Amino acid sequence: MDYLIYHKLMMSRLFFSAHGGTICPTMRRGIRVALFLLLSAAVESNSMSPPGKPVLLGCRSPEKETFTCWWEPGSDGGLPTTYHLYYERERLEGTYECPDYRSAGRNSCFFDKNHTSIWVDYCLTVMATNALGNATSDPFKMDVMEIVKPDAPENLTLLMEKSEYSPYLHARWEPPSNTDTKSGWVTIKYELRVQQENGIKWKEYTSGTQTHFSLHNVSPGVLYTVQVRCKLDHGSWSEWSNNTYVKIPNYLPNEVPLWILVSILSAIPFITTVCILVAKRKSVKLCVLPPVPGPKIRGVDAQLLKSGGPEDIDNALIVNQRFPPMVAWKDQTEEYLIVTENDGGLPTNSQKRKKSLIIPTAFHLDLEIHCKESTPSQNDWEKSEEINNELDTPIKPFTNSSYVDIQRHVENIQAVDVKQVDYSTVKEVNGENVLIFKKDNVPLRSSGYMDVQEQEHIQKDYSRVKKVESDNLVVLQKQIVSLDTHCREKGYHFTDCPLQNPIKPHVCTELIDSGYVDTTPAPPSM
Amino acid sequence: MPGNIKSVSFVVLVCLLLCSRLTSVGAAPICTNAQTGCHVLSLSNLFDRVIQHSARMHGISNDLHSEFEQYFLPSRNQVGRVSRNCHTSTILTPNGKENAQRMAREELTEVILKLLVAWRDPLWHFHHSMAHYDDFNNFSSNKALEMSDMVHELRKGVEKVAEKMQGLGITSNTVNSLTSPEALLPSKSAEWRQMKDYDLLYCFRRDSNKVQNYLKILKCRIVPEHGC
Repeated sequence: MDYLIYHKLMMSRLFFSAHGGTICPTMRRGIRVALFLLLSAAVESNSMSPPGKPVLLGCRSPEKETFTCWWEPGSDGGLPTTYHLYYERERLEGTYECPDYRSAGRNSCFFDKNHTSIWVDYCLTVMATNALGNATSDPFKMDVMEIVKPDAPENLTLLMEKSEYSPYLHARWEPPSNTDTKSGWVTIKYELRVQQENGIKWKEYTSGTQTHFSLHNVSPGVLYTVQVRCKLDHGSWSEWSNNTYVKIPNYLPNEVPLWILVSILSAIPFITTVCILVAKRKSVKLCVLPPVPGPKIRGVDAQLLKSGGPEDIDNALIVNQRFPPMVAWKDQTEEYLIVTENDGGLPTNSQKRKKSLIIPTAFHLDLEIHCKESTPSQNDWEKSEEINNELDTPIKPFTNSSYVDIQRHVENIQAVDVKQVDYSTVKEVNGENVLIFKKDNVPLRSSGYMDVQEQEHIQKDYSRVKKVESDNLVVLQKQIVSLDTHCREKGYHFTDCPLQNPIKPHVCTELIDSGYVDTTPAPPSM
Repeated sequence: MPGNIKSVSFVVLVCLLLCSRLTSVGAAPICTNAQTGCHVLSLSNLFDRVIQHSARMHGISNDLHSEFEQYFLPSRNQVGRVSRNCHTSTILTPNGKENAQRMAREELTEVILKLLVAWRDPLWHFHHSMAHYDDFNNFSSNKALEMSDMVHELRKGVEKVAEKMQGLGITSNTVNSLTSPEALLPSKSAEWRQMKDYDLLYCFRRDSNKVQNYLKILKCRIVPEHGC
């Protein structure tokens, strides 16, 4: 039929075009329309046919108590066509017609509660009838149990709720009005979905059988779209409910001012501390970085060095102008040699003693040995020698003039850094621990020792007493020691020790003998 | 040899002891009313459990049925007549909400039990016949077995519920649900053997849905407090 119309139209078009543009456009259009109408009327009146086969689209039960079926009519064949739905039911003899064609709209059939049976098969057919004939659709078998699809939930409302931590969106809805939830006939399950404004993806949430849901994942200032749907038992999901919109308000949480306050309060003591530190930076610096004592040369007056003229410099550098004559030392050496031969017990001492002479006087001066013998004398020496002989220990008071035999402990001496040092640093006064004596009082030539002026003071650069091995022997360390302490421990004054008590000298001597080392070693040349 | 006999007898003794222990534990009666230290389940609780069980059973039967349809694709509209005959069709079941609500509690309980009893053998048989289908994977076979077990468990559960209802005086003693299950079987019980597997599944899917719905109706009628 359509082809006929088309053919006719084409013919008319050809007819017009053949005539060219002699007819004006409006007129041409009007002629075309008239032709078309004529043609269609002709076609209609020419062919009428029985109706086309309708198609059963499907059925649906919204609450498992009633159901509706829809069909699609086929062509009506040019004649008024009526449609009838017939059904057969399991366990029910006979064929029945649809009880209600109207309630559900056009081309539908509504089965009310009286006509609905669950768990039985229905076989449905639709028949289209017109004056020329009828057409029957294919049969459609169904069980109401299988076609359950509820309506969408109703009255979806969205509320902003404020909790302590963050606001959240509270969604609330109602079950579809036609479902019966009271009798337990159906159990409804819900699903929610949320979309951000300008977003594409939906986020879905399952709500179970609750009719409310809380969404915590919301950002302020954003518009959200929310939808909800439901399902009955094992049936199909309903359509999504209409869009419901909500805009989350911008908010300043209560915590922000609190945090500002806290940060300010904690900043105040911090700033205060910093101010204090800055104000007292000098003392802080002193505390944190204690000054490291710079190198100090004993007897050198730094001030004098800085300020004075050339003579002053000389004076500053050289405390004791009077150097001991070398000859005296040589004499000493000879004498000394003799002594050692008599001893016989110390074969190596000669060399060692020589070495000992190398040690500057200052070295000797530092020793408390001087406490022992204030005046050098042969007697003393002899005495010491005697005493020496009496002793079993290898350490002997070898000096008549109480110079120190440092060789007693070779290792100590050898380890000493024999550098040219100003031996006259002894002059240094430093409290009780400093041995003070003047160069004048050191008649080295006579006895090779120096008098102790203020013997109660000991150089603080003395070697440390390592241990006291016996009555006679005190072992010293190479390090600085306060020889004074040892003597003090013995309970006698420094000055008293040498002469009064014959034994004591041994102690002190041994002290010295055992390798007391001055931190200002003698120059090797001497 | 005497040593052997001694050891064997010792082992036997030990086994006997253990077995007696186990059986004694198994045979210990579950709480009778309000025993000390014993947690008695409320009727509402029992109902909930039974309903959950039936829902799961129906879900499994649904899955199996759709799988069968996929594999065997029986035409939905074949043979226009509604000729499907489930072997349980002789059991009179309410086919709507009003009918179910109108039915007496005892009757409804009995209907449920009848249905469950009727499916015990067919499902067991079905599970074994599943092995013949090479297309089916083990998962489906497990489902069939699970289904079969569930019917059994559910029946016991419903019996307990009936017992409790009788104890509480909710239902009268007119129907004695503790009668032997065989008495509940429909007369044409042998018919199920002639049914095809697909039809069997279809019928069971329907019947499991019935059981679920009836239980829910019962619960909301008797103990409507929670979830009705």
